[in-house]
Amino acid sequence: MASGKTVAVVLVVLAIVAVAALAITLKKPSKVQPQQPIQTPKKKVRVAVIFDIGGRGDLSFNDMAWLGAERAKKELNVEVTYVQSRTPADYRPNLESLSKSGKYDLIICVGFLMTNDLKKVAAEYPNQKYAIIDSVVDLPNVRSVVFKENEGSALVGALAGFVTKTNKVGVVLGMEIPVLYHFEAGFYWGVNYAHNITGKDVKITYKYTGSFTDAALGKQVAEGMLAQGADVLYNVAGLTGKGMLDAVYEYDKNKKLEMGPPFAIGVDSDQDWIHPGYIIASMMKRVDNGVFYSIRDVVYGNFTGGVMALGLKEGGVKMSDEKDLEQFIEIAKELGAKLPDTPENIVKKYKEMRASIPDWVWKDLKELEQKIKSGEIKVPTANTPEKIKKIREKYGATGA
Amino acid sequence: MRTCDDLRNHLRPVVESSLSLLAGFLAGGIIIWAAGFNPILFYEALIAGAFGDIYSTLNTLSYSTPLILTALSFAIAARASLFNIGAEGQMYFGVLAAVSIGAFIALPSVMHQLCIITLAILLGGLWGAVAGWLRVSRGVNEVVSTIMMNFLALYLVNYLATYVFYDPLQAYKTKSILPSAELPLMVPGTDLSLAFLLSIATAMALYILLWRTPLGYEIRAVGLNPSAARYGGIDVKRTMITSMFLSGATAALAGAFEVMGRFYYTDTGLSIVRNMGFDGIAVSLVGRNHPIGIILSSIFFAMLKTGIQAVQRSTSVGGRTGVPLELGLVVQGIIIIFISIPEMLDLIRRLRGRREV
Repeated sequence: MASGKTVAVVLVVLAIVAVAALAITLKKPSKVQPQQPIQTPKKKVRVAVIFDIGGRGDLSFNDMAWLGAERAKKELNVEVTYVQSRTPADYRPNLESLSKSGKYDLIICVGFLMTNDLKKVAAEYPNQKYAIIDSVVDLPNVRSVVFKENEGSALVGALAGFVTKTNKVGVVLGMEIPVLYHFEAGFYWGVNYAHNITGKDVKITYKYTGSFTDAALGKQVAEGMLAQGADVLYNVAGLTGKGMLDAVYEYDKNKKLEMGPPFAIGVDSDQDWIHPGYIIASMMKRVDNGVFYSIRDVVYGNFTGGVMALGLKEGGVKMSDEKDLEQFIEIAKELGAKLPDTPENIVKKYKEMRASIPDWVWKDLKELEQKIKSGEIKVPTANTPEKIKKIREKYGATGA
Repeated sequence: MRTCDDLRNHLRPVVESSLSLLAGFLAGGIIIWAAGFNPILFYEALIAGAFGDIYSTLNTLSYSTPLILTALSFAIAARASLFNIGAEGQMYFGVLAAVSIGAFIALPSVMHQLCIITLAILLGGLWGAVAGWLRVSRGVNEVVSTIMMNFLALYLVNYLATYVFYDPLQAYKTKSILPSAELPLMVPGTDLSLAFLLSIATAMALYILLWRTPLGYEIRAVGLNPSAARYGGIDVKRTMITSMFLSGATAALAGAFEVMGRFYYTDTGLSIVRNMGFDGIAVSLVGRNHPIGIILSSIFFAMLKTGIQAVQRSTSVGGRTGVPLELGLVVQGIIIIFISIPEMLDLIRRLRGRREV
């Protein structure tokens, strides 16, 4: 019994010390929450942004959505409330409560995981405006923001076709869902575009790993492709593709290469900083722009429901450049992610890598980008298994 | 004199819990204040977010549903002085039962639900019983075995969800269960389904089992003193395995009900139920491993969960932005640590006194 009391005293003391320590660490930087009175101009637009369970700090989707909302805060003077979901069970109550409060001019759902819940709630509140990123909810009060991944993929596909030395490129994909067909179609078209210019016959292999979260599997698949001689690999697999990026990096390191090829191509956000010198570019989905445009339309009274498809022209997708690299190094630093090197060295390495590619390649890609933007060139896409099968056959892509 | 002692024995846990609860709220308030928010407004928003109107209240009750079951799961084993950390894995088998039978076998309603519940009880129960059997026949500590079996369960169920039961059109999730397998909503427009009533019923059933049946008597006797129980003619080994079976079965119900009453599918990754099994341990400790206490503490935990979502949305606390989730989670954690202390001490005392079988 006496020992039980001792334990009790120790526990209580520990708890108090822990709380005090936490309080002190929290108190120090007093800038956590600026407490100055809120100035409300007559009618300030209020926006709520709901993150999915991935949440802030994913260095991808959610962080880019945050960027877009922060930009709207600055440039459009709107108020933004962020709501982070902890489990999938939180989506519906968060949506429901925000809608019911009637305080928000726009509620933005970041990510397709909220599709089913938004369908239900948006039907209940026909006067509330919503936007959902990367998914389609067919209701008049919902703006569905989707991306023309085929256009961005066409650019990185052409880049892959230009820089391959072994004339073999690979695509590592996640689960076989229709969205990924857009990436496939654009990439194959791009490789073929390069072929038309250089005359090189480039073999394409693709592999569906069946997962977006299995980095080990992505690594294994990528190692197989590298062993078969592929020297540009395209990541279309989320976290699984993180393993692909690592595989390329380790392969090059083992061969004592200072930089690629073999190269990796990143996806969604700017991933070029992860292994500087070995990731030649990223196909970025500009979630930030999707969020920003939706808010802007509400501010200017141009909001309509329906699908907003953002391509190269609309700034919805793009091939990463130096500015993106710098911005994402900043975000990574801010979130405490481990950088592989000092920011200056990463940028330096990146510049050396890009300089190692002949100038005409970048020039040609710029032209291609312009032509896609102006509509002079139309990049094919696919939404069904039948259609992607035809495109694979046409451009000679074979399963690994 | 005796009634006075009785009363004191019954009141003691209530007083202890209330005091530690108060201390927890106080400590959480200090954190909130240190971070630059008003703690009173914070708790006001938290409680209003959980019970402020009918919708929030029903929502809180719906959040408490799986917690009631996973906490009961922990309690039944704890009553036999077994420390079952495996509710998490046992729960996954309930998810598996619901998704497999619910989405892929067509049956008439009621029959369909009963089939799922039966399979969930069998799978989860057997998974728990294996750990019980390892303990009594091989002396494998159930803490170790259940923790390891959690990983087995996770990867097994996750594999099946990802590669066998997945939805080809939305591959991040399994196919949705058929309407005949759903548990109907008690109030339309909320997430409160029949699962809530079934969970309360399960708590009542286990109460009766533990305190009104010979089996329950045996379980409690084994828990209080295995040697004396054996001397009294109780088959200690069989009783331990049985209580692990019941524990696993109850946990599996939590998983099955989350699918049948809320999501109608699971995502591949099982994030719809992740950590609910571990939460159950804390809920049960706070509820003193007693069915009635567990119902109350489940609702309390659910209040914290819905409340910290609400403080993010509240603009009165943090000015324009609300309180970030991370800070809410810190406060939640502190409150839980404080209110767990009394029962944790009891548990340590009991485990220390426990003799190997």
